[in-house]
Amino acid sequence: MNMINLLILPILLPFLFAVILLFLKENIRAQRLLTIVGLVVSLAAALRLIWKVKTAGVQTITLGSWPAPFGISLVSDMLSVLLVTTSILITILIVLYSFTAIGEARERFYYYPAVLFMLTGINGAFTTGDIFNMFVFFEVLLIASYVLIVLGGEKRQLRESIKYLLVNVISSALFVVTVGLLYSVVGTLNMADISAKIAEVGQPGIITVIAVLFLLVFGIKGALFPLYFWLPGSYSAPPMPVLALFGALLTKVGLYAITRTYTLFFIHDVAFTHELLLVLSVLTVIMGCVGALAYFDLKQIIIYNIIIAVGVILFGVSQMNEAGMSGAIFYLIHDMLIKAALFILIGIIISVTGTSNLRNMGGLMKTHTSLGWMYLITVFGLVGIPPLSGFIGKLLIVQGGFEAGNTWATVIILISSIIVLLSAMRIFVYAFWGEPVKLPKSDRRSYRKEMLPATLLVVISIVYGVSTEWLIPYMADASDILLNPSIYIDAVLKE
Amino acid sequence: MEFVLLIFFPVLAAIFVPILFRKLKSIHTGWFVLIIPITLFIYYTGFIQTTMNGGHAISSLEWIPSLDISFVSYIDGLSLLFSLLITGIGALVVLYSIFYLDKTREKLNNFYVYLLMFMTAMLGIVQSDNIITLYLFWELTSISSFLLIGYWYTRDGSRFGALKSMLITVFGGLMMLGGFVLLGIMGDTYSIRELIANASNLVGQEFFILALVLVLLGAFTKSAQFPFYIWLPDAMEAPTPVSAYLHSATMVKAGLYLVARFTPVFAVSEVWIWLVTGIGLLTLFWGAFFAVKQTDLKAILAFSTVSQLGLIMSLLGASAISYHVDAGTALFKFAGFAAVFHLINHAVFKGSLFMVAGIVDHETGTRDIRKLGGLMGVMPISFTVAFIGSMSMAGLPPFGGFLSKELFLTSTLALKDFNLFNFSTWGIIFPIVAWIASVFTFIYSFYFVFKTFAGKRKKESLSVEPKEAPVGMLIAPVILAVLVVVIFFIPNVVGDTLVNPAVVAMQAGLYSHPSEVLVHVSAWHGWTPELLMTLGIIGLGSILFLTMRKWQPLYNLQPELLSLNGLYDSLMMAGEKGMNRLSRLYMTGVFRTYLIYMFVSIVVITLATLFIKDAFKVDFNSFAPLNAYGILTAVLLILSVVMILTAKTRITAVIALGGVGYSVAFFFVIYKAPDLALTQLVIETITVVLFLLAFHRLPELKRHGESKGFRLGNFIVAAGVGITMALVALSAHSQKLIPSISQFYKDTVYSEAGGGNIVNVILVDYRGFDTLFEIAVLSIAGIGVYSMIRLKLPGKGSTDESK
Repeated sequence: MNMINLLILPILLPFLFAVILLFLKENIRAQRLLTIVGLVVSLAAALRLIWKVKTAGVQTITLGSWPAPFGISLVSDMLSVLLVTTSILITILIVLYSFTAIGEARERFYYYPAVLFMLTGINGAFTTGDIFNMFVFFEVLLIASYVLIVLGGEKRQLRESIKYLLVNVISSALFVVTVGLLYSVVGTLNMADISAKIAEVGQPGIITVIAVLFLLVFGIKGALFPLYFWLPGSYSAPPMPVLALFGALLTKVGLYAITRTYTLFFIHDVAFTHELLLVLSVLTVIMGCVGALAYFDLKQIIIYNIIIAVGVILFGVSQMNEAGMSGAIFYLIHDMLIKAALFILIGIIISVTGTSNLRNMGGLMKTHTSLGWMYLITVFGLVGIPPLSGFIGKLLIVQGGFEAGNTWATVIILISSIIVLLSAMRIFVYAFWGEPVKLPKSDRRSYRKEMLPATLLVVISIVYGVSTEWLIPYMADASDILLNPSIYIDAVLKE
Repeated sequence: MEFVLLIFFPVLAAIFVPILFRKLKSIHTGWFVLIIPITLFIYYTGFIQTTMNGGHAISSLEWIPSLDISFVSYIDGLSLLFSLLITGIGALVVLYSIFYLDKTREKLNNFYVYLLMFMTAMLGIVQSDNIITLYLFWELTSISSFLLIGYWYTRDGSRFGALKSMLITVFGGLMMLGGFVLLGIMGDTYSIRELIANASNLVGQEFFILALVLVLLGAFTKSAQFPFYIWLPDAMEAPTPVSAYLHSATMVKAGLYLVARFTPVFAVSEVWIWLVTGIGLLTLFWGAFFAVKQTDLKAILAFSTVSQLGLIMSLLGASAISYHVDAGTALFKFAGFAAVFHLINHAVFKGSLFMVAGIVDHETGTRDIRKLGGLMGVMPISFTVAFIGSMSMAGLPPFGGFLSKELFLTSTLALKDFNLFNFSTWGIIFPIVAWIASVFTFIYSFYFVFKTFAGKRKKESLSVEPKEAPVGMLIAPVILAVLVVVIFFIPNVVGDTLVNPAVVAMQAGLYSHPSEVLVHVSAWHGWTPELLMTLGIIGLGSILFLTMRKWQPLYNLQPELLSLNGLYDSLMMAGEKGMNRLSRLYMTGVFRTYLIYMFVSIVVITLATLFIKDAFKVDFNSFAPLNAYGILTAVLLILSVVMILTAKTRITAVIALGGVGYSVAFFFVIYKAPDLALTQLVIETITVVLFLLAFHRLPELKRHGESKGFRLGNFIVAAGVGITMALVALSAHSQKLIPSISQFYKDTVYSEAGGGNIVNVILVDYRGFDTLFEIAVLSIAGIGVYSMIRLKLPGKGSTDESK
């Protein structure tokens, strides 16, 4: 295998398998098998790529062998490859969960290809080194997400899909316009080249305006205040496995894009751009907290917790110091794992109780003990109780915030943890404790099957937290490049 | 041996608990568990010799060395004292629980797992030198306390009490973490010892006061200080062994430990002394005052614990003054000694009292003091234990509590002689408050023991015939009661072995050896002011106790709503109903509203940036010359747009929309972009045709419920977005800072790519990768549309999530 092309495999492998699956519409067993095979192969490639990036530095390839700013470059640095790997891993586990949770009807109508297409887009967006190409991959993941959100055609789904579609069409239009504006000013699309050229002209006002536009575009995808309003409704419509995929992966692409552009391009007027990012991220945390407390619906509680996490991560990024940045990366990956676990777990709770209204639940601890413990551990991970996965990220983000002198904002971030705890513990106290309520008849076998991916995710997140020391070199590499764009630029432009 | 590993011994042993519980049903699981604290207790006594000589022992285990985070067990006088309390009281509590919790009815596997988890956590707190791992153990105590309070989780009192305690203590923990991070930034280390050694450099740094306040928030929440104490009475829902262990003897003392441990770091600060002493004294008074109001035995003890914790807290605050006076004026030394000494006394007598409360509950079926009375005759041993414990609590001889109470009064009297930080003016308040609080302490101590055991039996109110508890259940409280008396007679032995080494540890730098803490405790020390104060307490206390029936109802005048509990409840309500109402204000569920929020934000933020950054520039020279065709097309475009807005039927709107698209295509023609024009024309044509095809399935176009104001609002937002985009686009066009890379394509399109049409070559070669995935987008859209049309599942009506 030509190792130069390694970084394209996590994009092409899911794509290839998705195309193959299109021809196996009626054969569900083959679809399941091939999906898992495709994902495992992609995971192997991604792991190999991590190793390569760790040992040989940033991997780049410019397609069609055109020289660097003229063709489309793909760039795998540590951040991108870590996110790619995490995404594939999470997809595998959610696909396992889907075997019982999504239903044969949907499986027959291209559920698995859609999932793989979406992963293609996600991995592409994480890997590309070309801002227009990023737009294209956003389109791929979005169109696949449209398919997933509408698949099944329930009335509620249709109603929410049209909103989801509308908001994303608007943001895509804004995205392409913004890319156009940037091209008009700096005359290039290659991200390394953009960075170098902005540095050359020293980010005058018009580029700052474009920076803000990028923040708004990605802020819509990433559910940043004041652009997140579409999310709670749209996310509650699709079935749980799809919600788990969306909740764990989609907003993260927006976060990645903000992080990338705000560390690679727009770093010459930090006092304005990053201050804006900071303010918006703190407001996002606060608004997320309001929502997380406001509803007694399981899905809504966890959905609003996505929004809180978005704010926390971007707060870390906005500090632009080492602690804040590596904290943000730690927290980002933690959040992907933990949200996937949470969504699967509440999916199981909903299917066991037949409702998502917390007030109609109670005493599950008596009948579903392991589910209860799994959920409790996940909540503690979510809140950032050491040594679970959320801790180190939060610790470093807080440290970064204090070091940058944003004292009160940092205290707000700390306090938000208690709101997260309250909102998530409410589920535990109401659903698992209290007098048992009568449960509808449910299939114990599918319950056990669904516990498998949930348990795996929880175990992975625990390992992620406990083995921090082992992860630190990788996180350091990732934040290094974000804080020193010259490494990225050199890797792409100087061959 | 690496004794840091012993911290984890209980929690690792807990793995076997469920197995033992399931496999060996005939033996109470507690017997196996008992081995653990006893072993540890014996092991830790081995360190006494070291600490008595002012030494210490260290053992560490790496966790995240890159971030300076590791498990470091540092055993000096202070941590040893706590470790002995944790394992010693722990052993007695486990012994007691064996008889208290029935092995067939209770889920002992859960109970002992939580208890062992707690033991690890608590040992970790008091031994950790690394503040980050200290925080880890700190949260672990909150979690195990949560699980233990919620042990009977089907009861509402248990589960909401558990939630309350967790919220408050985890909140404190998070604040403390913030303080720790600040200390780490200031001192560049997470090691407590290094921070202490470096203390003089920390003072005056920007974050010093904030770090101090945050750390104190952690300590105050955990040690149930005012106003955070409200979780402790609710925590009494836990089984009584747990209340005895966590909620009086150990966990609630973690905050005291923290304050003692950080005294050398923060003592220089006036804020520290005022806060710790002041809040401590306020809590002392508050707890004692409200203890008298309670009617539940455990609630009395809970408030009394709050009060006693406040007492020790205030002593710790006063002991920090030692850093401000010459070593010669030794009055303040008493405070540190008294704090540690009373901490031991309190753990001992309060442990025994909780156990008695448990026994009473166990044997009579109630803890309501109004239903109890006259149990002295049937439960003589329990009564004796309760009597000893209560008298010690009231501060009477010949019990240990008398000695520490006297020392406490001495220390408060000394405060008024301290002439820094306005203490000479305000210091007089301290002995007065202390005295009043002590009167109430006296009252509730008598109230607790005599209302339960003396007086007449109230047979009709009890459902069972009370009898003395089984011997096993009495062993632990009797041991504790004996200790209460023993301490009175050998205070200086206790002082030398346990208290002095702890004082040295918490007042690092002031002493170099435990023997320099020259505090000699004696029961009789002449007619000192503090003795007179004690006599006063006994006098007034007795009168008030005897007339209690007359004035106790006055407590009911306080409306529940105005209490701190009322505040917590209304906060929780605000969290549920209030947030729901707030959220519903803007989360209307109407998508149009959300779009308006988003568009308005985009317009405001973008325009603000444009003008703040002075980025708005229009360079007319860069524009292509205007001609008649251009103007004509523009007019056409505008007309089409207006037509869409005013259209009465869908068909007109669609045709007008086509008009917009075609006029854009004309622009492309006029400005010499034939490829684009062609593409645009094709797309517009297809779109209009498709629209028309789908048409007859759509309902009539109705503009319902659109007031003038509403339409005006929409118009403003729409115009705002359009104008913003136009201004930004003009500015970007006028500021082409760097020439485009397109020259490369012109140079290579024929020579390298072998193509004539540059647009085509870009699509299929230079940027072929984009095109590949654009095609993919179309195919995915295809399967999406197909699936949407073919698959129609019935919605699950029952799961309506909009509630």
